[in-house]
Amino acid sequence: MATLAGAPVGRERRIFSFTWLWNALAHGYVWAWLGVFALPFLATLAYSLRTPDGVWTLSAYQYVFGSFKENLLLSVQTTIITIILNLLISIPAAYAIVRAPIPGKSFLLSALNLSLYTPAAVMGVSLVIAYAFLFGIPQTMTGLIAAYVVGTFPLMLVPIIVALRDLPLMFEEAARTLGATRMQSFFRIELPLLGPGISAGILLTFVIVFNEFLVTLFIAGPGTTTAALRVYNLTRTAGFQPSTAALATTMQLVSFVVVLLFFRFFGSRYLKGTYLI
Amino acid sequence: MTRVQLLDVSKRFGQTLAVDHVNADIADGEFVTLLGPSGCGKTTTLRMVAGLIDPTAGQIQFDGQAVNAVPSHRRNIGLAFQSHALFPHLSVARNIAFGLEVKRTPKVDVQRRVAEMLDMVELSEYGARMPAQLSGGQQQRVALARMLATDPRVLLFDEPLSALDRNLRDSLKYSILDLQRRTKKTAIYVTHDQSEAFAISDRIFVMNDGRIEQSGTQLDIYLRPRTEFVANFVGDNNAIAGEVTALVHGAPGEPSLVDVRAGRMRLRGLNPGNLRVGDKVLAFVRPENIDVLMESRESDEPNLIRGRIAQIVFEGPTVRVIVETDGVAIRATAGGLGRLTLLDQERRDVLLRLQEVTVVRDESATAA
Repeated sequence: MATLAGAPVGRERRIFSFTWLWNALAHGYVWAWLGVFALPFLATLAYSLRTPDGVWTLSAYQYVFGSFKENLLLSVQTTIITIILNLLISIPAAYAIVRAPIPGKSFLLSALNLSLYTPAAVMGVSLVIAYAFLFGIPQTMTGLIAAYVVGTFPLMLVPIIVALRDLPLMFEEAARTLGATRMQSFFRIELPLLGPGISAGILLTFVIVFNEFLVTLFIAGPGTTTAALRVYNLTRTAGFQPSTAALATTMQLVSFVVVLLFFRFFGSRYLKGTYLI
Repeated sequence: MTRVQLLDVSKRFGQTLAVDHVNADIADGEFVTLLGPSGCGKTTTLRMVAGLIDPTAGQIQFDGQAVNAVPSHRRNIGLAFQSHALFPHLSVARNIAFGLEVKRTPKVDVQRRVAEMLDMVELSEYGARMPAQLSGGQQQRVALARMLATDPRVLLFDEPLSALDRNLRDSLKYSILDLQRRTKKTAIYVTHDQSEAFAISDRIFVMNDGRIEQSGTQLDIYLRPRTEFVANFVGDNNAIAGEVTALVHGAPGEPSLVDVRAGRMRLRGLNPGNLRVGDKVLAFVRPENIDVLMESRESDEPNLIRGRIAQIVFEGPTVRVIVETDGVAIRATAGGLGRLTLLDQERRDVLLRLQEVTVVRDESATAA
């Protein structure tokens, strides 16, 4: 719709009103859909701000800054560690897949993406079985992070592969002929140029891991209740109280603010001035 | 300052022999061009000198030292790419500084050198810009500054101007030559554009099918082509198939010639040295080396040929005349004021005086 809204303005005065009408319709259409998508969130927000007697108050949020803080902290920790592990796995893997002459590349890539197509419940059951029988690490933070990495590393791998495929070999060659070692060329030239792919991978991993709940339900223990799991538990035990809505709203806000900040700082900086534009 | 030698260098990609036993000896400070059509192996040859591809066989030497085992980043070369290959996330100054920074040059020296280089390519004001904010010509000049900043032993150019428009190409090729002359560095320049090769080279290597067909100065290549490919690839040429009838040994110090019979035509041209009586040959004569004479007499003089004008095309500075001779259409071009007298002479019988005729063995006829 953005392109329609920016349709060329006529040079002649008399079609100005038509262009204006067209722009208004285009904007209205976008905003209408935005409203539909935002409606559940707005409803939850309103619910969290009212007592059952109809009084508007922030009292439900006291709860948020109590014990829920720990759940949020755990979510943030596990998400950050998962992102780092995903990066460490995916960047070398992407290099191997794109640059090395490996037979059966497309099959390999499909196999690596398998976890994206696995139903979360199936994944949860498999992890419980695998952890219990093989590794003996159920119900710990390590177990949680390992599960997130298994489930989400393709979200990091695929954007980096795409970015690396689009990155001409020429930049590495230029760096090498200018005297850079392979390492220097990688860290100074190629890694920054992969920025758009890497930032997309980080964002996807964040959104999925931070909000993950179904797989967590299977493998989390008493000490490893993430924010998303806490919201679910509270809904089951306390029902749809304003305090439950307050937790949900807080989680939503955290996600939203992180994504906004990310686009503000990384998205535009990495896209600007690269070969992509 | 570096002498570059290629000794029997070959490169095989799977089944194809991309570079086939290439030998070259490039003197210190010489500007050499590898000229040839796409796929002739010229870029592969250059990339082997740069160390980006390993030769399958043969040796590459800088100043008599084999560099085959030296990785690209320690060969101390400068390579200019088809597209400028500037690092898009670094400013112009940081691009130029890159080669110095990775060699851990002190910061003060880096800054001084960057300023010097920007000055040299007349872009002093542009250090803080990003590459995407420059025009195509400015980008390529920054690329030149970047490759010269590290003071490389050898300059390598891989069709650096092919992505630019024509006017820019013309001015930049002289900038490149000027920079090379000022720095006195050995340069190898790859191009498929003969006007570029002719403008800037000390010596031209014409490549085809992975081999060097002929090397020499512009005059050697243009006036004394030694193979059919060179005669056809460089400039415009008329090819006339015939057979050697006699060897004509010139006076001492003069080139030796051969007589060639092609149908009823008698031609006399330069002997490349390897021809014998009875050989199937191709005689080449350039359109601009043919005089069109308004006479219609018989001729048994060599290189004076009867014909009839079939077509005349006014091309502005020149007039192109196509003359039907004994079974062969010969193209001639006439310049100067005299060209205008030709304009309404269609269907006339004329005599053609051929000059600077060169003769090469007809490989296809010999093979058959």
